Amino acid sequence: MKKGLIKKIAVAAAALCFTMTISSCGKAAGTGDEESVTVGLLHSLTGSMAISEKAVSDAEKLAIEEINTAGGVLGKQIKFIEEDGASDPSTFATKAEKLIDQDKVVTVFGCWTSSSRKAVKPVFEDYNALLWYPVQYEGMEASENIVYAGAAPNQQIVPAVEYLIEQGYKKFFLMGSDYVFPRTANMIIEAQVKAAGLEVVGVEYADMEQTDFAAIISKIEAAQPDVILNTLNGSGNVSFFKQMSEKNYTSEDYMTMSFSIAEEEVTAIGPALLTNHLVSWNYYQTTDTAKNKDFVAAYKAKFGENRVTSDPAEAAYINVYLWKAAVEKAGSFDVDKVIEAIESGEISFDAPEGMVTLNGDNHHLAKPVRIGEIRADGLIYEIKSTPAPVEPDPYLTTYDWAVAAGIQPLE
Amino acid sequence: MDQLVTTLFNGLSLSSIYLLVALGLSITFGQMGVINMAHGEFVMLGAYTTFCTQELFANFLPEQVGSIYYFAAIVLAFFVTFALGCLLEKLLISKLYGRKIDSLLATWGVSLILQQAVRTIFGAQGVNVNAPSFLKGGLAVKGVTFSYNRIFIIILVAFCLVMVWLLVNRSRYGSRMRATMQNRPMAQCMGINTKKIDCITFGIGSGLAGIAGCSVALLGSVDSTVGQNYIVYSFMTVVLGGAGNLFGTVIGAAIIGFSSIFVENYQSASIARAIVLLIIIIFLQFKPSGLFTVRSRVLDEGV
Amino acid sequence: MDTLLKPALHIEKKSRRGYHITFAVIAAMLALSPFIIEGTSLVQFLGKCMCYAIVGIALDLIWGYTGMLSLGHGLWFCLGGYAMAMFLKLDGTNGKITDFMQTGGLTELPWFWKPFGSFPLTLILVILIPALFAGIVGYFVFRSRIKGVYFSIITQALTWAVYSLFMANSKFTGGNNGITDIASIFGKTKGSANRTNLLIIFFITLAVLVLVYLLATFLTGRKFGKLLIAIRDGENRTYFSGYSVNSYKNFIYAMSAVLAAIAGALFVNFNGSITPTQMTISYSITMVIWVAVGGRGTIIGAVIGAFFINLCEYNFSSGILVEAWQFIIGAIFCLTILLFKGGIVGIVRDNIPELIRRIKNRKNKTAKEAA
Repeated sequence: MKKGLIKKIAVAAAALCFTMTISSCGKAAGTGDEESVTVGLLHSLTGSMAISEKAVSDAEKLAIEEINTAGGVLGKQIKFIEEDGASDPSTFATKAEKLIDQDKVVTVFGCWTSSSRKAVKPVFEDYNALLWYPVQYEGMEASENIVYAGAAPNQQIVPAVEYLIEQGYKKFFLMGSDYVFPRTANMIIEAQVKAAGLEVVGVEYADMEQTDFAAIISKIEAAQPDVILNTLNGSGNVSFFKQMSEKNYTSEDYMTMSFSIAEEEVTAIGPALLTNHLVSWNYYQTTDTAKNKDFVAAYKAKFGENRVTSDPAEAAYINVYLWKAAVEKAGSFDVDKVIEAIESGEISFDAPEGMVTLNGDNHHLAKPVRIGEIRADGLIYEIKSTPAPVEPDPYLTTYDWAVAAGIQPLE
Repeated sequence: MDQLVTTLFNGLSLSSIYLLVALGLSITFGQMGVINMAHGEFVMLGAYTTFCTQELFANFLPEQVGSIYYFAAIVLAFFVTFALGCLLEKLLISKLYGRKIDSLLATWGVSLILQQAVRTIFGAQGVNVNAPSFLKGGLAVKGVTFSYNRIFIIILVAFCLVMVWLLVNRSRYGSRMRATMQNRPMAQCMGINTKKIDCITFGIGSGLAGIAGCSVALLGSVDSTVGQNYIVYSFMTVVLGGAGNLFGTVIGAAIIGFSSIFVENYQSASIARAIVLLIIIIFLQFKPSGLFTVRSRVLDEGV
Repeated sequence: MDTLLKPALHIEKKSRRGYHITFAVIAAMLALSPFIIEGTSLVQFLGKCMCYAIVGIALDLIWGYTGMLSLGHGLWFCLGGYAMAMFLKLDGTNGKITDFMQTGGLTELPWFWKPFGSFPLTLILVILIPALFAGIVGYFVFRSRIKGVYFSIITQALTWAVYSLFMANSKFTGGNNGITDIASIFGKTKGSANRTNLLIIFFITLAVLVLVYLLATFLTGRKFGKLLIAIRDGENRTYFSGYSVNSYKNFIYAMSAVLAAIAGALFVNFNGSITPTQMTISYSITMVIWVAVGGRGTIIGAVIGAFFINLCEYNFSSGILVEAWQFIIGAIFCLTILLFKGGIVGIVRDNIPELIRRIKNRKNKTAKEAA
């Protein structure tokens, strides 16, 4: 009797689901109306990448809220539709298409991993839509339809290696997760280190799901490097540093320079294990600008006192404002006009990291580079920075060693 | 020499982690025949329990007692996952006995729900579990460092193993459990409350996963997907050793753990994993139901 | 084994006619959909769903009918997908090496990429590679009489192993990125300007789906299908009756792999990329869930399940439901398995005839009362 009832309820629920599914097909959310305009947010909220992407999507929502309070864009309030990419590049492609074609959003802020960006790139190109990508990445790309607000390799990796060479480090060990960013980054680093006449004593790739780093640590011990260049991603970092500390290793034994550890990751790994290790980014929570004080305060006020801001979150925040600036310059939400405005090279924004300017030729940002040191309070402090913003060079064509090593794409 | 000792220790440590995760499965899968895909999520819940205990101790107790939080966490993790395991058994598993494959699919749904629950409660970002002070660092003996963490985990595994063995083979409950699993109608005739036995057995298996979660939290990231990293290997461990045989599970974990570490010394991690998996597959060709099997003349064993 | 899966013979005959009608309706709706739906994204997505439906049928043949649960059909899906993607990629680069090969330090196209320069050869390989690979795996697995859960776990291990190999050899396979930035066989399919291309590939996929459905119903409707069910319900008895159980199992396993590979090859045309994510274990389990929710052991169930779950995901994982959709989908899995073993098809099959009879009775009653 009871079971029969449950069954009936379940059937009813299933039928409801089904009708909802069918009815929501074909319905378009629309471009908004007189007072509002709709943008899309496309990040992984489930799956293995949710760890990182949540902060980025939060920062985008903060920027949208701020702009709305200040009166919106071209007098219109911004609404957003959030889609879950589920850490699967194909889902990203499907959802990107849905946002552009069905929901008719004027632009999309999204993606984190290179694989998701590469999967959605043809979608944005073929629909002639615009994606604002917030994360530092491996370069070698400059799509008409993407704005890259994160660092190109010459704004993160190259200056970091230059710094290490300057500091007299001689033997480099390259370690990363087994995917495209570390592989390309290591290709660049190897070319740069060899051009400087120094030595790469080992290259190791950890599996994306790797939880035990004992074997890799043994290999590091055997290679005896001066410094480890770390391009591990996400949870791999936690395992690696926890297991380094098990062996009593600190930054005095093996210095590391990490390219994917920002404040969020420091919190998850535990600051004690990371004290004095180096990182390279364009922005830290401690960056000393007036804009940054406001940004940090607003972020904490909205998402909680214990949350921290980080470079990707800041880049995501910048993205929304850059889009606003571009739209206002174009005087329209039309993608062609916005791209035209972007390509004028005159879009800039006084960001928390300092003044950033959108390069019209390659859609990357000119931004300051900062080498940072992690301290015991879990924050990262700048120890060296470039005097002026560094112009983006995603293909590294202005570096002789890179050209000599032939790392640019063929075409 | 140092290299060899390090490798052996690493192998032992990795094996013990796999064993700890697989120990619960060897009960739920090996003894009861339930394929619990949410086992990994119980490991995750154990890790989150450790985190909660750490935070509670840090906030409400004086600093001196701080590092004993970890022992409290182990006990708590066991009971939290034990309770959840019992609940899951009552609500879902008990309806699916004799439908092994269905239990696999239904618990897969449970694992999705548990992952999202953790994301909703604790946020998608991972949380940080600090090793208690007595487990920080390692013991250096002539150029080889034995991490306290890993030594502790090895001891913990040994302890759990002995407890499980005693429980299954030397206790009243154990004999009832074996009776139930071997011949249910007969056990019922003898007045054993088989439903209760099922429930408790599943709870113990899940509780062991919780303990595994405590140790996993010391070694790596604590986030909603942590369980997924272990689930396949732990099934392999149980299958390799032969379902239903505790000793087999130990050997299975040792084979997987040591071979992973040895291969990884010469190859990249991905290749190492592929090789280890292929070794397991080929091995199962010759011993289709694992290393140690209960001999039986029954032809149509429950599929 | 269980009564739910074995409706009485007369019901089976009746319901089979119902299945065919349902499939005809679905196919007709699909054929009409591009002309009703505005824009291209939903058409694109329905195209992907048809590929999923083909995988569903493939899985149903070995699981629903033969009782072997493969938790690694993502592997076959990906083998087909990669084969087609390799052709399309070479088509895009004019036979030169690709971006990821260059990053990996290659200067020449690897030998095993070369056959994929030609379209007919690619089509043959899409079928041949999984057929051979699955045939060999099946031969050894079935010879050593690995069944039930052990079979599931072996397929899982195999898939994970191949996944790791694909990840590790990124200079040959594109690693974690997979093969990206490719158009379909007929050129670009995204955006309204390329709608014609999309429609061509859409209708080809629809035709393949119909053919696969017909093939599957043809096979399962004859003695061959009865044998598969016999293997599922009593393998040893079938064995003792003198049938070469292993060859049957091997054949159906290889065929299922080939069907999944064909689905993968079509999928790439819609998706514009193929990544190892499609080869993960969780993805493979999701495929099984489609079949379970739709109704195992009925070909139509696999089709309905694939469409139902994917449309649910498509609509629920956004907007206000974005935080809740994992709960919903998890609950759907649990409840279907727990309460409706026959899946959606089972619900309809078990309830509709009863409902019709009741309505008829009521009519009769009112008619009598009126008289």
